[in-house]
Amino acid sequence: MTDRDPDERRLKLNAALDGELDPMASVAFEREMRDDPALAAEHRRLSALRDAVRRHAPREAAPQALRDRIAALAPAPSPQAAAPAATAVPLPRRTWLDARALALAASLGILGFAVGAGLMSLRAPSGAGGVAQSLVSDFARAAIAGQPFDVASSDRHTVKPWLADRTTVSASIVDLAADGFPLAGGRIAVVGRVPAPTLVYRHNEHLVAVTELPLDMKGAGAAGGIETIDGYHVARWTDANLAFIAVSDMDEKALAEFVAAFRHEGRQPAKEGR
Amino acid sequence: MTSLIAERRFREIVPPLLDDAYTLAKWLSQSPTDAEDIVQDAALRALSALATVSVDRPKPWFLAIVRNAAMTFMARNRRKTLAYAGDMADLDALDARRDDAAPNPEQELIAMQDGERVRQAIASLPSPFLETLVMRDVNGLSYREIAEATETPVGTVMSRLARARAMLARMLRSEP
Repeated sequence: MTDRDPDERRLKLNAALDGELDPMASVAFEREMRDDPALAAEHRRLSALRDAVRRHAPREAAPQALRDRIAALAPAPSPQAAAPAATAVPLPRRTWLDARALALAASLGILGFAVGAGLMSLRAPSGAGGVAQSLVSDFARAAIAGQPFDVASSDRHTVKPWLADRTTVSASIVDLAADGFPLAGGRIAVVGRVPAPTLVYRHNEHLVAVTELPLDMKGAGAAGGIETIDGYHVARWTDANLAFIAVSDMDEKALAEFVAAFRHEGRQPAKEGR
Repeated sequence: MTSLIAERRFREIVPPLLDDAYTLAKWLSQSPTDAEDIVQDAALRALSALATVSVDRPKPWFLAIVRNAAMTFMARNRRKTLAYAGDMADLDALDARRDDAAPNPEQELIAMQDGERVRQAIASLPSPFLETLVMRDVNGLSYREIAEATETPVGTVMSRLARARAMLARMLRSEP
C-alpha cells in the first residue's frame, strides 16, 4: 500500500472488506495485497473478526407479541373486501408527486374504497339511493386513485370553464374559502350516463364532493338531512335550478356546516352562474 | 381520521423490517424489553410520517427512526447515555495508535470462538461505534445507508466503522 497514513490504510482495508471500493480501487487493492503480505494478513484478521461478529451477533427475530402489536397499528382490511380493492385499482404511487394531493388521498382510505367499490356490486342501486350510492362509490374511487379531482384549482374561474366544456349542467360554483372550505378542484361524475359537474372542496384533511344534477333527473330529488352510505356522509338539497348531492368523509356536523355555507353563498347575488 | 393510505404503506414497509429494527434496538438499549418499547414507538412514528412522506429506501429510513426512538427512550429513562457526551476527537485520540501494538492473532482467534465474549465486546463499544458496527454487520446497510440512517457524513461512518472493529479486536486480544 502506497499510503503511509495508517488511518487511510485502515479505512481502505475496511472498505475493501465491506465491498465498498469501486472496481478500479478494488483491482488496485488486490494488487497491493499481493505485494504486501502484512496487508494481506491484516485483511484476513479483519475478515475473521467481521465473520465472528456476524456469527455471534446475528439478526434476531422480533418477538411475536411485538409483531402482533405493530400489526394492530395498521390492521389490514378484511380479506373479502381487500381482494377486489387490491386487484381493481393498482395504486399509481408515482403519480402522487404533489404532497398535498397525497395527503388528501391519504385522508380517505382502502376500507372506504373496498366497501364502496367492493360491495357495490352486491347491491342493486335504484332511484335516489342509487344515485347517491354511485356518487359515494365515485368519491371513494377518486380518492383512492390519488385523483380526487380532474382539474386541480382553487380558482373557480378555472374550474368553471373546465366543467362547462364537459357537461350540460351549468355548474354553480361558490367560494367557501372564508367558511373554511377552500375549493380544491373539479371532476366529472357520470350519473345515469349523464356527465355531471362535481366540485371538490377541502376541509382540513377531508374532502367534500358536490355533484350538481338537473332538477328533473330521476333520483336527484332532495331527501333532506344527512344520511350515511358505506361510511361516508351524504347530504342532498335543491335550489331553484339544480339538485345537489354532497359526499364527504367529514363528520356529520362539519358536512352540515358545509351545506349551510354552500346554500347561503349560493343565494348571494354574486353567485357564479351563466 | 387516521390515514388509511399511510396504513397500507406501513403494512408494506414496516413488518419486513421488524427483525432488523428489533435487533438494532436491542443492541442500542442492551435490553430485550426496552427494545420492544423502542420498536413500538418507532412504528408509531413511522405510521404518522408515512401520511406525508414517500420513502425510497425503507430500510435506512425505518432504522433511522428506530435509532432516534432509541435515543429518546434512553434519554427519558436515563439508562445508558446513547450520545457520546465528550468530543468525538477525544474518542478518536483514545483509540488512535494503540492498535499498532503488536497483534496477538492467536489470542484473538481463540476469543472469536467465544460468542459471549464477542457480544460483550460489541456491547461495550461507545454508542456511535456500536450503532455503526451493528448497522453494517448485523443489519447489512451500506456505508451510504448508514450515513443516511445516522445523519452522518460517509467519511465519518467509514472511520467509525474502522475504529469500532479496531477496538473490538483489541478487546478480544487482551486477557478477558
